[in-house]
Amino acid sequence: MGRTLFEKVWDAHIVSKGDDESGPSLIYVDRHLIHEVTSPQAFDGLRIAGRTVRRPDLTVATVDHNIPTGTLRLPIADEVSALQITTLEKNCRDFNIQLFGMDSQWQGIVHVIGPQMGITLPGATIVCGDSHTSTHGAFGAFALGIGTSEVEHVLATQTLWLEKPKPYKIAMEGQLDTGTSSKDLVLYMIKMLGTDGGTGHVFEYAGEAIRAMSMEQRMTICNMSIEGGARAGMIAPDDTTYEYLRDRPCTPESFDDMVSVWRDTLYSDSDAKFAKSYVIRADKVVPQVSWGTNPGMVCDITDAVPDPVEYGKGHTGQEDGARRALDYMDLEPGIAMTDISIDRVFIGSCTNARLEDLIEAAQIVRDHTVHPDVRAMVVPGSQAVKREAEQMGLDKVFLDAGFEWRNSGCSMCLGMNPDILGPGQRCASTSNRNFEGRQGAGGRTHLMSPAMAAAAAVCGHLADVRDMI
Amino acid sequence: MKGRVAKYEQDNIDTDVIIPGQYLKIHDYAELATHAMEGIDENFQKKNAVYMVAGRNFGCGSSREHAPIALSESGIRAVLALSFARIFYRNAVDGAFLLPIEIEPDAYEGISDGDIISVDSESNTVTNQTTGITYNTKPFAGIIRDIINAGGLFKYEPGS
Repeated sequence: MGRTLFEKVWDAHIVSKGDDESGPSLIYVDRHLIHEVTSPQAFDGLRIAGRTVRRPDLTVATVDHNIPTGTLRLPIADEVSALQITTLEKNCRDFNIQLFGMDSQWQGIVHVIGPQMGITLPGATIVCGDSHTSTHGAFGAFALGIGTSEVEHVLATQTLWLEKPKPYKIAMEGQLDTGTSSKDLVLYMIKMLGTDGGTGHVFEYAGEAIRAMSMEQRMTICNMSIEGGARAGMIAPDDTTYEYLRDRPCTPESFDDMVSVWRDTLYSDSDAKFAKSYVIRADKVVPQVSWGTNPGMVCDITDAVPDPVEYGKGHTGQEDGARRALDYMDLEPGIAMTDISIDRVFIGSCTNARLEDLIEAAQIVRDHTVHPDVRAMVVPGSQAVKREAEQMGLDKVFLDAGFEWRNSGCSMCLGMNPDILGPGQRCASTSNRNFEGRQGAGGRTHLMSPAMAAAAAVCGHLADVRDMI
Repeated sequence: MKGRVAKYEQDNIDTDVIIPGQYLKIHDYAELATHAMEGIDENFQKKNAVYMVAGRNFGCGSSREHAPIALSESGIRAVLALSFARIFYRNAVDGAFLLPIEIEPDAYEGISDGDIISVDSESNTVTNQTTGITYNTKPFAGIIRDIINAGGLFKYEPGS
């Protein structure tokens, strides 16, 4: 019987398997990415146990979660944040791990720099103590987020005990319309399948719309697989993948030989069996925006805020959840989404802070200005993205319009650095989570694409970007 | 072990609610625990709860192990939920922080905030001491069962 892409990558990485056929497998890890927040206790654990890092050459570190993104790279004022950074620096020195630190030209969000540097490769297993590790699956890697105990286990052994998830095919057919992006597709998918629709599964995205996408668009989709509850998301590599990776700083010398092997193996066989499947007509999807407090609470931008009673029909607990969400978001049912005023705009995060995202947003912003009641910021996903954007003059487009143009980091995606929402502030955000307090205590998040966030910045309220094209 | 329940009648209790991002810099577990659940329940610490009961997809979101740690350090021995997000589920047992126990709707409906319950993970039951009713819980399976039995990921040996 044929195998899926995921099954092929899984099988190729089994180090050991118990007697029980359906039991867990010890899986070899090809790349381990680490950052300052989920690694300190893991290194403490190594020291206490007298262990070392088994493969420092397969481990790469950066700083992204807690660092300030101000225009000058000043020493970090917050002592606790600074300690987390110096701890990572010491750990990397002690264990001989390459670190792209605060002053490195390659510093950036871990899920932006992995692909950008050619560290992420097709068919690889990639782990990181961060749930959005699913991003790297866009290259045909099996990439998943892990906790700190598992980080320690991987540091010590370069392996991980895992139970095999089931393959789940998401076919995205047809072509995206103008003004609609891969972010809209993935938000639509989570709306339809729910935030736990993919639990215990690995999504494999396929179909005409996926094939037509650039790598950066594909990464946005795989990035949000975790918001649909999946263990990982994957896309079979193709010429688009190989061209993207060919000349990166860490691309292996034997890249062309590797490509010929990948071409022969990294796809789902035509007779492969998926545990589940779902079809999305990409051409029917319009710009999406979230109204609630999880990434499944999403609607078309042309819709109104839903009525909890209607929303909850046929689903236990959904009505209460919607009521609670609207209360937190301070929204009344029936209001047009485009009538919702905003205070802040955040274009950034591992979901949407790559060069194409910034180009998309800049196209909308050009010759416009940020609404006077709005504070808007662009936070490039890496210092390399920032440089490339500046070479194209995008910094000037954003600055002229009234945006802040900042240094790279996770920034306002997760409220653990100086970039946060104030209580009650409402934000049009290109990030991945609209949970209560995610962007700062009491802050209210509306998730959307970079172009939609740019449109909101100009209009001062949520807006249909198609009206501005 | 008998203990008091803190119940949150909600689905999708995420890791940002369990421990907000601003506290992920904290290295000291006891201090971390003082901020557990503060986003949705200011009185959580005062409840002296030993068990937490919640709806579907508990622990969705971030991979932060700080989430089960913050609950564990607050005195929570087990979370009983209709379902769990996978990273939280695994994190909870890797460091032997707490037991993530899947329950059915009957137990979810039948246990209220403030009730005293006892959990028997050998017979896979939970008894509401306040009402006297016992419910079945889903047994642990696969590697989760093995890691729990071993007492954490670093004590786990395959085939043992």
